[in-house]
Parts: sequence; structure tokens; C-alpha cells
Amino acid sequence: MVADIKSWANKFKSLSDTDQTIGAMGKYYTCTYMWDMEDKKVIVEMHDGKVKNINLDPQPLDAYDFALRAPARVWREFGQPVPKPMFHGIWAASFREGLKLEGNILVLMQNLRNFTVQFELLRKCGVPV
Amino acid sequence: MARHSPVTGRYVTIDVDGMEYKVFYLQNGKGQPLICQHTAGCHNHQWRGLLEDEEITRDYNVIAYDLPRHGKSDPPHNTEWWKSEYKLTAEHFVNFIVKLCDALELRDPIFMGSSFGGNVALQLALRRPDRFKAVIPVEAADYAPGFFLDWWRHPHANAAQVCASGVWDLMAPQSPDMDRWLTWHYYTQGSEAFKGDLYFYSVDHDLREQLEHIDGRKCPVVMMTGTYDFLTPPEVTENTARRIKGGVYIEMTDIGHFPMSENYPVFRVYLKEALRIIRERKGV
Repeated sequence: MVADIKSWANKFKSLSDTDQTIGAMGKYYTCTYMWDMEDKKVIVEMHDGKVKNINLDPQPLDAYDFALRAPARVWREFGQPVPKPMFHGIWAASFREGLKLEGNILVLMQNLRNFTVQFELLRKCGVPV
Repeated sequence: MARHSPVTGRYVTIDVDGMEYKVFYLQNGKGQPLICQHTAGCHNHQWRGLLEDEEITRDYNVIAYDLPRHGKSDPPHNTEWWKSEYKLTAEHFVNFIVKLCDALELRDPIFMGSSFGGNVALQLALRRPDRFKAVIPVEAADYAPGFFLDWWRHPHANAAQVCASGVWDLMAPQSPDMDRWLTWHYYTQGSEAFKGDLYFYSVDHDLREQLEHIDGRKCPVVMMTGTYDFLTPPEVTENTARRIKGGVYIEMTDIGHFPMSENYPVFRVYLKEALRIIRERKGV
């Protein structure tokens, strides 16, 4: 599912900010992460469980806590409504499909419950690559 | 009218390698003993579907225990266990299971375990084929590196959530939300034991050079793995089964690493086939 990046960002933000599972325990979900999709990069800034900003044109010195990097073909599989085996999560893809987890992984672990739920929203909104 | 389950729970005290364990187990059914090990960092509620399966418990005495340090089974009562880091070894794990089967007077039990329980099933087939009618290693392999991680009990993160969400995508997206979240819930309860369990799973368990010593003709080995298991993917389990004399491999479609817990209706189809193969080879 390829989507225009601005409309993708709007849809992702809307899905995330209204997600009941994130809302149930999102009070301290605050961090900034990059999704590097090869052809496109975005930096998502979370604050207390809500999407504060999505940077659609990251510059070299724009900061983030951690990054997920994978080829566009891997992200396109993440964005399928029912992903194929080994594309069904960040652990699976990092073990079997070359997804790289970089930066301060501790921040990812501190927010793992909500990040995992949020990542799966890609199955509803697709990916912009 | 109380809506009681037919499943009952009891404690039994056993001594294993100098450790005194008060072990909690759930039981239902009659006939051929089928003793079940939960996955690392979890407890016996993972087997809730099997324990209440009327068709299987008609002919099988299903027992699902909590390994010490999990669920309602305490750490050893005769040892200052809090003064050393918990690291489960293959030898102790095997000795524990045999002692438990002895204490419960189980004759020719079938042993089934998932994940680290599947790996110890292979250890049992290697070390004590005389004690078990057959083993069913679920989501297992000769070697499963990569999961003995400090993240499971890092003091700067919420260990309960790290463990529970860290295993989330070991489950298939097709599995029901309720069952995946129940499995997640179980995993929030076992974080202190998880890393020590994984010492066995990813480090001490290594049968790459010993598979040829397992004789699946004497003690049948029926291995089953789900297609969404990223730790021991289907091809890894299949390669393990192929190297065991008489080894059997069953691939489970659209299910993950916790099949009995994440989607029991799908799992039972494959389990019934495994039990049929064992009946065919050994008789009940």
C-alpha cells in the first residue's frame, strides 16, 4: 500500500491518537523515533501517548532517540493488512529480515508496549514507500 | 449454581539436585498421562484450552505444572536463591521433570512442551528415552541462539512490559486478540525468571552435535512449529526433525510460538495428529 506521505502522516496520527489500546496506558509514552524506509524517512515525536509531530523531511542534525531501518520492500510488507511470516513485527523482522534497530534502544524498551501497538497501525494506514 | 471447571490444582513437594520444590500443577482427564511444560517466563495457564478439552481429556490425563519460580511454584524453599543469579541448565531441567513424573507416579507419560519446553523435550528424548512413551517438542530446535538478553530484566525499563511485548510478535496476527492479550498478560507475570529460563533456551541447550544420538523409534519425537515463529522458524525445526532417527515434523499454518495459548482451536488440530502418530507407533 503506497500512500502520499502527507496524507499517510495524517492518517497515522489520527489512528494513533484515537487508538484505545494506546490510550489505556499511554500516559507516559513520550519519545522520538525515526522510521528509515530507504526511499523516505520520517521522525515521529510522541508526547504522553499522542503524536506531537511527524517530521516528513528530516535533516542531518534532527534528533531522535532510536531508529528502525530497513529496505522499502520490508516496510511494504509491514504495511500489509495481514503481514507474511517474519514481517509481522520488529522482533521478527530484526531476527529474520534484516531490520536494524539503532540508537538508544533503552528508550524503545521503556516504551515497548505502546510502540508495538502503534507499529501495527501500519497494517491499517499502510506505508509511504 | 457455581460454574466450576473440571480442572483441579494441587501442590507436590519434590527434591531435585538438593533443591526442595513445592510444585503446583493443574490436572484433568484420565488415561494416558500427557504432561505439559509452559514456555519460558510463563506459567501453566498457557495450557488452559487443552486442560478443558473434553475430547482429549476423555483419553488423556493432562497435567500442566508450573516450573519452580513460575506461577504458583515457588523458588526452592531450602536455598537462599536470592543470592545468586538464576540460570536454568539442561541437566537440572531434565532432572526436575523426571523427579516430578516419579512423584506423580506417571507411567510412560508423553511429554509435551513449547519453546524452552520443546527444547527440553529433545533433551528428554536424548537423556531419558526409557522414561517417556514419546515427546512432542513444540516450537523447538536443536539450537536456538539470540534470546538470552539483558533487556528482559533491565532496571531502567518496565520488565513486565518488556517481556510481554518482547514476545508479542512471536504470535501470529491471525490469532484472536483475546488469546494474544491473555498470553501477553501471562508474560507480565514472569519477568524475573524469563532471562534465567532463556539461559537454557539460547545457551545451555545445544544439541547440534548430538541429534544423531536421539532414537525416535524408541521414544517417538513429533515436532511441531508454527509458520509465524521467528525464533525457531519452520525450516529450523524441520531440519532438526530430519536429523533424528524416526523424527516427525508437522508444520502448523498461521500460528506462532505459543500455539496452545494464542490459538488453541487451531493448535488442537495438529496436536490430535501428533497423538495419532504416537498411538500408531506405540499404542496408548
